[in-house]
Amino acid sequence: MKVPLEWLKDFVVIDIEPYELAEKLTMRGLEIESIEKISPQFKGVIVGCIKQIERITELDNLSLCIIDTGNRDVSVLCGAKNIKKGDKVPIALPGAELPGMPAIEEKTIKGYKSVGMLCSERELGLSDDHSGIFILPNEFTTGKELKEEPVLNDIVFDINVTPNRGDCLSIFGIAREVASILNQKAKIPIFELPKNRKGKIGDFISLKVFDLEACPRYVLRMIENVDIVPSPYWMKRRIQRCGMRPINSIVDVTNYVMLELGQPLHAFDYERLKQRRIEVKLAEKPITFRTLDGIDRTLEKGDILICDGEGPVALAGIMGGENSEITDTTRVIALESAYFNPLFIRRTARRLGLKSEASLRFEKGIDLENVDFSAQRAIALMHEIAGGIVIDGSIEIKDAKKREGIFVSFGKINEVLGTSIDHSTILNALRSIDLHIVREEEKGFVVSVPWFRHDINEYMDIVEEVARIYGYDNIPVTTPRSPLVQFKKNKKNKIVSKVKEFLVSSGFFEVINFAFLSEKDIENFFISKDDERFSYVQILNPISKEYGIMRTFMAPNVIRNIAYNINRGIKNARFFEIGKVFYSIKNEKLPREDIHLFLALTGRERDYYWKEQYKNFDFFDIKGIIEGIGERFGINFVFQKTKEPFLEKKYSADVFSEGLKFGWIGEIKKDVLDIYEIEQKVYCGEINIMPFIERAILDFKYRSIPRYPQVVRDFSFFVDENIPASTIADKIKKISPLIISVGIFDMFRKEKRSISFRVVFQSYEETLRDETVNEIQERIIKELTKIDGISLRV
Amino acid sequence: MKEIEELRLKIDDRLASINNLDSWSGVKAELLGRKGLFANLIDRIKLLSKEEKRIYGQSINTLKAYAENRLTEIKAQLEQKQKEIADKASWIDITLPGKVPLVGKIHPITKVISEITEIFVSLGFSVVEGPEIELDYYNFEALNIPSDHPARDLQDTFYIKEGVVLRTHTSPVEIRVMESQLPPVRIISPGAVYRCDNDISHTPMFHQVEGLMVDKGIRFSDLKGILTIFIHEMFGEDTALRFRPSYFPFTEPSAEVDICCVICGGKGCRVCKETGWLEILGSGMTHPQVFRNVGYDPEEVTGFAFGLGVERIAMLKYGIDDIRQFYYNDLRFISQF
Repeated sequence: MKVPLEWLKDFVVIDIEPYELAEKLTMRGLEIESIEKISPQFKGVIVGCIKQIERITELDNLSLCIIDTGNRDVSVLCGAKNIKKGDKVPIALPGAELPGMPAIEEKTIKGYKSVGMLCSERELGLSDDHSGIFILPNEFTTGKELKEEPVLNDIVFDINVTPNRGDCLSIFGIAREVASILNQKAKIPIFELPKNRKGKIGDFISLKVFDLEACPRYVLRMIENVDIVPSPYWMKRRIQRCGMRPINSIVDVTNYVMLELGQPLHAFDYERLKQRRIEVKLAEKPITFRTLDGIDRTLEKGDILICDGEGPVALAGIMGGENSEITDTTRVIALESAYFNPLFIRRTARRLGLKSEASLRFEKGIDLENVDFSAQRAIALMHEIAGGIVIDGSIEIKDAKKREGIFVSFGKINEVLGTSIDHSTILNALRSIDLHIVREEEKGFVVSVPWFRHDINEYMDIVEEVARIYGYDNIPVTTPRSPLVQFKKNKKNKIVSKVKEFLVSSGFFEVINFAFLSEKDIENFFISKDDERFSYVQILNPISKEYGIMRTFMAPNVIRNIAYNINRGIKNARFFEIGKVFYSIKNEKLPREDIHLFLALTGRERDYYWKEQYKNFDFFDIKGIIEGIGERFGINFVFQKTKEPFLEKKYSADVFSEGLKFGWIGEIKKDVLDIYEIEQKVYCGEINIMPFIERAILDFKYRSIPRYPQVVRDFSFFVDENIPASTIADKIKKISPLIISVGIFDMFRKEKRSISFRVVFQSYEETLRDETVNEIQERIIKELTKIDGISLRV
Repeated sequence: MKEIEELRLKIDDRLASINNLDSWSGVKAELLGRKGLFANLIDRIKLLSKEEKRIYGQSINTLKAYAENRLTEIKAQLEQKQKEIADKASWIDITLPGKVPLVGKIHPITKVISEITEIFVSLGFSVVEGPEIELDYYNFEALNIPSDHPARDLQDTFYIKEGVVLRTHTSPVEIRVMESQLPPVRIISPGAVYRCDNDISHTPMFHQVEGLMVDKGIRFSDLKGILTIFIHEMFGEDTALRFRPSYFPFTEPSAEVDICCVICGGKGCRVCKETGWLEILGSGMTHPQVFRNVGYDPEEVTGFAFGLGVERIAMLKYGIDDIRQFYYNDLRFISQF
């Protein structure tokens, strides 16, 4: 809400600096978003008074004006028709600067001297009006610099009015808060309807309201013989400073009163209303209606319509119809001032995506008591600026509505706030914003809330008002008296943060992506339609197609991160992401949410180091990370041939533990990388960490360090390619409980594949004797060489 | 005695020919060996008369001692020299770069969430999480935002289907917690939230930390106390802050918390829109209707809630001016934190 201080001063005396006022309003909950200083852009323009006008026939259309500029008279040639003797006008004297125009010079046309120029509002940069010379208010002083006139200089507050404070969407509403801050009472505008009125309104028009819930109050007033002309400068100026566009005398008045008092008004061209009647009713079936912006709107059952004898003439509270709008030829005005149910207006406005200054106010609730007062104010202003004759009286339909008083205890206020504010301060605070104290008791009071405050309905709302006016700054700072609550440990968070720690210390960088994918992403990974990753959750109103669904797996986003970095010259990268994936479940409202860990490696560990050369990452780098994480949390992962369609089968594996698939690791297929325009190899792994969290062991038992020395023996075997190294190691381990570890320390391929194992023997009871170890060693050799395809390498 | 003089010259000549340990051994054998020069001389002495033996023998002995001393000296010199050569060969350039261990980095969002969480955990708050795809009821209705409420305009919501949305804040977690337990409640809830917005200061997904404290006798002044501690821990003891009335449908009274602009120190700049203050979190006393919705009696208990945007705090803390930077995942960005 834009609030020009010059207008605000109609209602309150502002005796503090604007910046101080802004600060105080902000601390009242009316946050000042910006302060705009308005000052004229022109220089050297004087208030002149026309002493004489003479039409010069040989210069068709021009008049020669003699202008009193205070200390001397000058002659000026002028083409405008709207000036007359005695008018005060702006005169730009030679040397004057007007916005966007060359400097003003003295000119002579056919012997007639023109010393300067009379200006329109547009030439002065004050408005878009170029219909004639800007006729200045009579009280301006002849000879004075025009830019020094106070009304041309202003300060406009842009106030961020929160949705609960519909009452502050008007200058008067803001004035009410300002008055409370400055210990004043806001002055209600004073005006009088003209004495000379005509007829009875009931003879001109009839009114029916069919649904009092939708429209609990409706007032009609009329004026005839109006002139549809541009409004005077003072009205245009105020409307403009509030961010609206002046249109004509009638429309401007409706907007002016809405800005001033918060009551949206609508003016109908009376002569275009069929059967001279207004009916307020709810649409019964969908119909098409053209609003005054020229757009055909589909109205639906339940929308509030303002109809004449034949059909809709306005979409209530939102926008008028083209069929009854004010035009240049309009003579008679039927003025609507009403209260429409906020919920109805809001529903319709939202559905149509149509917001207007009127709907904005109606949907937050306006002042029910102010409906006719605003209509009178508008009729008086129309008479003042558009002339015409006021039709006597009004037609009003209203629902009797009552608001219950609210009982509030003094103690409760201080208890909730942690304060000890005395009773009279509380009551005065509430009175200062026009709340009415109905009854005062020893322990509390009953307050009645006026109809402009729709946000105050129970005691807590009153507590808030007291806090706001008393000042949040004056409320003490304390710590809660409540006893300590036992802190609940969160196993998931603990494990996730330990996994992150592990990965960071292993050289991985964390990425965070939007949890969105496109359907195309899933197809890019050759995932079949029956795969769970196709049971995605779709967003009905996505930002774009790329963000159309919730992710069911992490790979596409991190692959994109890798492409992004490679394109910026970063060819070696290790990334991980831990985040949610979502699967829609049949017959369930909410999807299943899992947490996945994603790993990605590309390039090599380091680009270079002067002492050594680095190999590119391969399958065993990604495998080692998964094994390391498993080891850290006591989970033994098993790796099997992968079934994932987007992996190079040879260099990939599915990851299992206790027979359950946790995920996969391996090299991403070239066909997939091509889509994301990556030319180098990428190794990834994706693990569902939900089952991981369940099984993870966080507290290990300490096992005492053996007191007896260990014995190490190495074995080398020739092993056929079809026998996995891990099965041999497992076999060896099972041969004796004294074997505590079996490692593979060498592997090469010549004619045959040779694998060398290092076996560590350890007893916790005694020092191992050579004979004991030798005996096991024999058994190892015997057991293994029994297997087809394994022979001892001597 | 001329012969002795010639001998000495000859010995010096041989000693001078030594240039390494190998030739040293050769010369030593040549002079002092079993078939060397002196062995030869001693053999010849045996043939001389007693008197001659005495004079000649003495000279020879002196000469031999001389040769021995010189050889010892030369050996020491040679060894010293060899050691120097070896030293030189094993020299390293200590200005060459060392091998820095390669460790990764945590994303700044995670970092800031951890920092915030730690502060509240130290104040006795437990960390609770909830679903990111949420029922409209938990995201709005239960929080006193019915479907026609103007406050729905404050948040552009992603819709999944009738009654299901991407959560627009982490507040629904508070409702779920209150539904599942009786007071006292003291929780924070960090996590991803979603709003239909995408520009230099908005991303469709971002992160929040929300908190809730409910018990008998919780006061607005306690809200001020807890959040003042938080701000001082997060931004430093000297950070000026203010509580400003605001509006949230689920709290009343509501307060926006501003801190003195960290960029300009309160003088007014582009970041704080010339106000000298930065909005840092929203808060307020839990609305009685929210308590009724979860079956708590607002006459019995009171509480406060607060929420803050993680990206915003990270942006202020690190001076990042484009929120989208967090989601490009550029290694040159992440590696700075």
